[in-house]
Amino acid sequence: MADVAPNKLRLLKGAVQDNVDLVRGIRTPGLGRRKLLESPPPDPVQRKRIRRLWLWSPLSLVVIAYLLLPSPVVSLRQTAPIKTFEAEIKQTPATAEVKVPETEPQAPASEPHALDRGVIPLAIKKIVIDAGHGGKQPGAISESGVSEKEITLDIALRLRRLLGKTPFEVIMTRQGDQTISLDKRVAFANTNKADLFVSIHVNWTEPREIRPLETYFVGPSDDPVTIKLASMENQESGYSLSEYRRVLEKIYIDTRRDESRSLAKNIQAELYHSLKTINPELDDRGVKMAPFLVLVGTEMPAILVEVSTLSNEEEVQLLTNPDYREKIALALVRGIRSYASNHNGVDRKGS
Amino acid sequence: MEETNETFCVGIDLGTSRSSISASNGERHVIDSYVGWPVDMVARKVIKKTVLVGREALDNRLMLDLRRPLERGLIKEGAKKDEDAVQEILRHLISLIGLKQKSKNRAKLRAVVGVPAEAFRNSKQRLRSALEGVADSVMLVSEPFAVAYGLEALLHALIIDIGAGTADFCVMQGRYPTEEDQRTLPNAGDSIDEQLLKLMREHHPEAQTSIHMIREWKEKWSFVGEPKKPVVVTVPVKGKATDFDITKEMGEACESILPPVCETMLDLLARVEPEYQENVRNNIILAGGTSLITGLSDAVQKALADLGGGRATVVKDPVFAGSDGGLALARDASSSDWEKLSL
Repeated sequence: MADVAPNKLRLLKGAVQDNVDLVRGIRTPGLGRRKLLESPPPDPVQRKRIRRLWLWSPLSLVVIAYLLLPSPVVSLRQTAPIKTFEAEIKQTPATAEVKVPETEPQAPASEPHALDRGVIPLAIKKIVIDAGHGGKQPGAISESGVSEKEITLDIALRLRRLLGKTPFEVIMTRQGDQTISLDKRVAFANTNKADLFVSIHVNWTEPREIRPLETYFVGPSDDPVTIKLASMENQESGYSLSEYRRVLEKIYIDTRRDESRSLAKNIQAELYHSLKTINPELDDRGVKMAPFLVLVGTEMPAILVEVSTLSNEEEVQLLTNPDYREKIALALVRGIRSYASNHNGVDRKGS
Repeated sequence: MEETNETFCVGIDLGTSRSSISASNGERHVIDSYVGWPVDMVARKVIKKTVLVGREALDNRLMLDLRRPLERGLIKEGAKKDEDAVQEILRHLISLIGLKQKSKNRAKLRAVVGVPAEAFRNSKQRLRSALEGVADSVMLVSEPFAVAYGLEALLHALIIDIGAGTADFCVMQGRYPTEEDQRTLPNAGDSIDEQLLKLMREHHPEAQTSIHMIREWKEKWSFVGEPKKPVVVTVPVKGKATDFDITKEMGEACESILPPVCETMLDLLARVEPEYQENVRNNIILAGGTSLITGLSDAVQKALADLGGGRATVVKDPVFAGSDGGLALARDASSSDWEKLSL
């Protein structure tokens, strides 16, 4: 290799490494591959913590399953308001339905109440885009081998590019193929004091003929399908048992829920109207409540959108088309802008 | 460089419309990316071959199950026949450079193949599979990166490789390009063809045209900006040869790719470190078959005017720029590198 110029050699090594990763079936941050600027590599203490959280993760899933079960288990919980809210929620037929109807489930009547937008003028400046899964967590994988983590990252990068042309500041939980636990995603959004959190996912549904499009915001759900989906998406938890209890309580007392629902509605409407023209079989499942961890732990309006489903090969065909992914990203931009413009209108009125 | 009598290096630009190969023995070839199998016994008797590749396939298309197996620079999904067709193209390219594939003592073939900048991993995996039995070791690189490497435009350069299926962008900043440095657009030669066909059907519904005729016209007379001379084509109308002036349609179709290409270029430029933006603006390199559109570099420079101006040039040999770059990479990689990438 002596007569290859150092600058060429560096590039060549990058190309070889990229291919070695491809051969091995992994996609490590190779030479020159973009690093996640916002999250430096974990130090030994962090690594130890991650290992510890890995141990806790299955236990946490058991806990969430228990806590989502009806009253005998709920009675084990000590916090009075939660009990009150759950009792109230049980009386609300709307929560038993998967789709949010016209008369959507309201925030609980007891304290704390959702904040009236008009009380404090709020502006949306910083948006966190969360590309679901990544690294060792591929998410759903289609029969033809398309993985959720690749699709979500591609759409997230497109969304960032498109939002770059707007006044919003955009940051991403991951910009490459990294494994990032859910608690780290939540912490990233919270420490950066983001105003909105948009998590992008691709579904896997049975029966495979269906092609659902759905957007979630935080809240409890009695629907077994939704609970199953939440437990699947929550697998990369990273939360410890002690943290989990505190986090779970927020499902019920969170005052951001109305804002999250509004954002979810805007995004779902834009996605469906934009995509149904080229994908008439798309099933508009509307907006739903679910206890996804990234929605529970974040402190700003947050939604999780399942933009397509990898269980349906026709959807996979569409997803492998860059035009379609661009269309999804454009619809997400429109949904965010639509939510933000409504927000600003209220702000102006309020001020 | 590490080449020996036992090894042989090639660079391949596997294109949607045309595929080229550059080999370490100096051979260079370009073929149309078409493969066809005789449709029945009669066709097989006439053609006297089990499969036709390239121009030969295109010329005999009426007797063939004709495939253009690459879509946006990658193997179309879901069709086994298209995977077989890609293998036929690769075998044909290798045969053209004089490497005896079936010889027991043949040299080990090391191939660098260009793929679209934003190709999916599973698409790359399929391509690697298609190369099994054709090459011994394979490295897949993004097409604009291969072009940049071949031209040694490794620092402060923006490569725009416009082929038939995709337009691929890559900013070279002295390091192996990241996802952030690259873009792929579906607006390329094929989208011009579709646009021109649509305009022909709208403006001259009586003219009997096909996509193959449209492609030939584009390759001869495509332009953006002011036309140098009228574009007049002869097309049958109810069987009678008739002349049509399609200057306006040709210009409009070719210009349809300018907005997305220029917008993506400006977006990538804006992401370069501020102190180097001017250097990159003045080193924009256009490659790929569609870069041969007359006036394209001027149009790109015009788009740069708002940013303070810049310079765009078309590479001397757009058709082979990608495969030559691939060959340079193949030669520079060490044997230990190649061992890691064996099939």
